Amino acid sequence: MPVPDLFLQGIERGWQVIDASALAQETTLEADVVIIGTGAGGGTSAEILANAGLRVLLVEEGSLKTSSDFKNDEAKAYAELYQEGAARATADAGIGILQGRTVGGTTTVNWTSSFRTPDQTLAHWAEAHDVKGLDSASMAPWFARMEERLGIAPWAVPPNANNDVIRLGCEKLGYHWKVIPRNVRGCWNLGYCGTGCPTNAKQSMLVTTLPAALEKGAVLVHSARAERLVFEGDRVSEVECRAMDATLSQPSGQRLRLRGHHIVLSGGGINNPALLLRSKAPDPHQRVGKRTFLHPVNLTLAQYDRDIHGYYGAPQSIYSDHFQWDQGTTGPVGYKLEVPPMQPSMTSTLMGGFGLQHLHHMASLPQSNILLALLRDGFHEQSQGGSVALRDNGDPLLDYPVTDYLWDGVRRAFLSMGEIQFAAGARAVMPSHAHGRLSTSWADYQEQVAGLSYRLHDVRLASAHVMGGCAMGEDPTRAVVNSQGRHHQLENLSIIDGSLFPTSIGANPQLSVYGLAARLASQLASDLG
Amino acid sequence: MSDTTSPNLDRRSLLKLGLGASLMLGTAGLTATLSGCSSSGPAGSMAVLRESDLPLLAALFPAAVGPHPAFSENSNAIQLAIAQLDRSLHYSSPFVQSEVLNLLGMLSMPLTRGPLTGIWGDLATASPDQLEAFLLRWRDSRFELLRKGHKSLLQLLHMAWYATPQSWAAVGYPGPPII
Ligand SMILES: Cc1cc2nc3c(=O)[nH]c(=O)nc-3n(C[C@H](O)[C@H](O)[C@H](O)COP(=O)(O)OP(=O)(O)OC[C@H]3O[C@@H](n4cnc5c(N)ncnc54)[C@H](O)[C@@H]3O)c2cc1C
Ligand code: SF4
Repeated sequence: MPVPDLFLQGIERGWQVIDASALAQETTLEADVVIIGTGAGGGTSAEILANAGLRVLLVEEGSLKTSSDFKNDEAKAYAELYQEGAARATADAGIGILQGRTVGGTTTVNWTSSFRTPDQTLAHWAEAHDVKGLDSASMAPWFARMEERLGIAPWAVPPNANNDVIRLGCEKLGYHWKVIPRNVRGCWNLGYCGTGCPTNAKQSMLVTTLPAALEKGAVLVHSARAERLVFEGDRVSEVECRAMDATLSQPSGQRLRLRGHHIVLSGGGINNPALLLRSKAPDPHQRVGKRTFLHPVNLTLAQYDRDIHGYYGAPQSIYSDHFQWDQGTTGPVGYKLEVPPMQPSMTSTLMGGFGLQHLHHMASLPQSNILLALLRDGFHEQSQGGSVALRDNGDPLLDYPVTDYLWDGVRRAFLSMGEIQFAAGARAVMPSHAHGRLSTSWADYQEQVAGLSYRLHDVRLASAHVMGGCAMGEDPTRAVVNSQGRHHQLENLSIIDGSLFPTSIGANPQLSVYGLAARLASQLASDLG
Repeated sequence: MSDTTSPNLDRRSLLKLGLGASLMLGTAGLTATLSGCSSSGPAGSMAVLRESDLPLLAALFPAAVGPHPAFSENSNAIQLAIAQLDRSLHYSSPFVQSEVLNLLGMLSMPLTRGPLTGIWGDLATASPDQLEAFLLRWRDSRFELLRKGHKSLLQLLHMAWYATPQSWAAVGYPGPPII
């Protein structure tokens, strides 16, 4: 049964959607509010501002891909839907970075795990980063509102065997584990959320807030990058954009000018700071792009005597926070444990080795499971995150040093994950490391982990959670925007997305972005109204 | 570590070439272009990869992937994987494209290839043992840039290979569901 393509149906009904790459001439558009970026922050803001009766204009550098384009095809998805074709990395290439670049932003390709911002994180922001009014109690209704809007509920279907490893292992060891809430409605349990949901079950921005905003008359321009903000005094007078080429690698097409009374920056971490830097926006204390966080991830591979088939079934349904807060909020780095989906192209980069050894590991794919640890960066003085600069052509570049503080977390996480995998019945476990080998006993594995080199490129590190770089806080010497997301120096500029976070979240960040965006955009709507 | 025992790739021999390792990697693509060892534009059927990269990749895919049955079952297997890699690169950024071309340029240009890989003849005709020795040497190098090269090269090759449906049956992946 073919799945109806909600977005294409909307366009047929008259939604105003402009493909910038098809524009024949330079174009100027005006609205009450211009939103740059259509991901978690941009989508949520668009719906709220449009519902408040404001004329909303959105611009997105990715192209418009909808359910009928999503074929569970890894290579096509990584190329078309991800920043730099999924080949983005930190400046020294030590950490690979996955981030969305399409209408709906990263929510179009994310894995649907939905956690409220942990209480500890919100308390730490108030205490250490001068964030005002975003305590757990006053945020709770905003999270509840977005949970309802996006169908967020604990996954009621049994986990796939890949996720069940966490339950089994933690159960045996007496460690914490829990079912993950997901933003889905009528999910087919396919497992290909990372390549775009073909059934429109995932309640990404592509099928929820953006359609709602378009229904209210918002205008969406896609395949165009906001290249520069133009200033008049302390106001942004115009957003200069340029259409992307056919493969979305360079802005080399028609120019567009977008004008609005208010500008909302929702391009996410890395890209927001890059736009501000290209624009030479006022930054008297050099805060733009600083404290960019990644939740750096390390991973372990395990083989079992039973089938796992980790490429099928909801990608993330069980997690463990056993090691997240056990050493305090600001102690040695804590981490959340989850699994990634195991489609072969991405998984092949984590299998370790090359030649015959790699092939042997791949041949056990159906009986393999991978655990990952999200390192909670930014809560300790030895974890200041990365900083964004510009390449010669204006593209962003993130310098993110991996400190000994983080390596210590990597080593401990290798142990925690291996222990859980053995407890869940693994016959062999291997750290994802250039020198990793399959250990067939917990004792040998511990010895292996103790003897590994902890340095760049040897340890496979990745990130799917770019956060920060436009920190919020009341102190203009330390933050780019205030606790309402309003720019400290520019009167009509707000930033509403994951780049606001003054630390990482300590949980997958999308619901943190939704809740915060709902609150800040509602405040903005009443300020502008 | 193999670098220090290798006669060809200690710090001194890198310096003797008149370049530090980083400069070497950074300029190899340019030098390769100037010296005419690599053509500068993309090959006929490609968007990013150059003519000179193709035989190199044809040798590197089996070295990275191992004796996968698809190589013998399908005479076109390597071409499909190279085309996949080219498509992925086409959608990446100008920076990523130039990094990959520099890496491949360095492997095809004799001045850099010999000392950095230990393979003195054409890499495209190197034996499997030679290619394995080269990949191990880079994996174990004390130069961060060579370890980076090792990781990047393998990631590119593995991702492209396992993106092509021909690779799936042999590793037990039944393929994506069809909606
Ligand atoms: C593979 C993957 C899986 C993930 N899984 C989960 C998960 O299960 N749960 C979870 O909570 N989080 C997950 N995340 C992360 C989560 O989706 C993001 O943290 C969240 O979407 C960030 O929201 P944002 O609004 O900050 O930016 P984004 O959602 O990334 O949106 C930013 C958008 O702005 C566009 N843009 C940027 N700059 C410009 C410009 N100058 N001009 C025009 N457009 C621009 C970008 O192309 C992008 O579309 C995952 C991420 C990835 C990559
Ligand atoms: S698992 Fe559910 S939400 Fe994810 S792609 Fe499949 S149907 Fe969509």
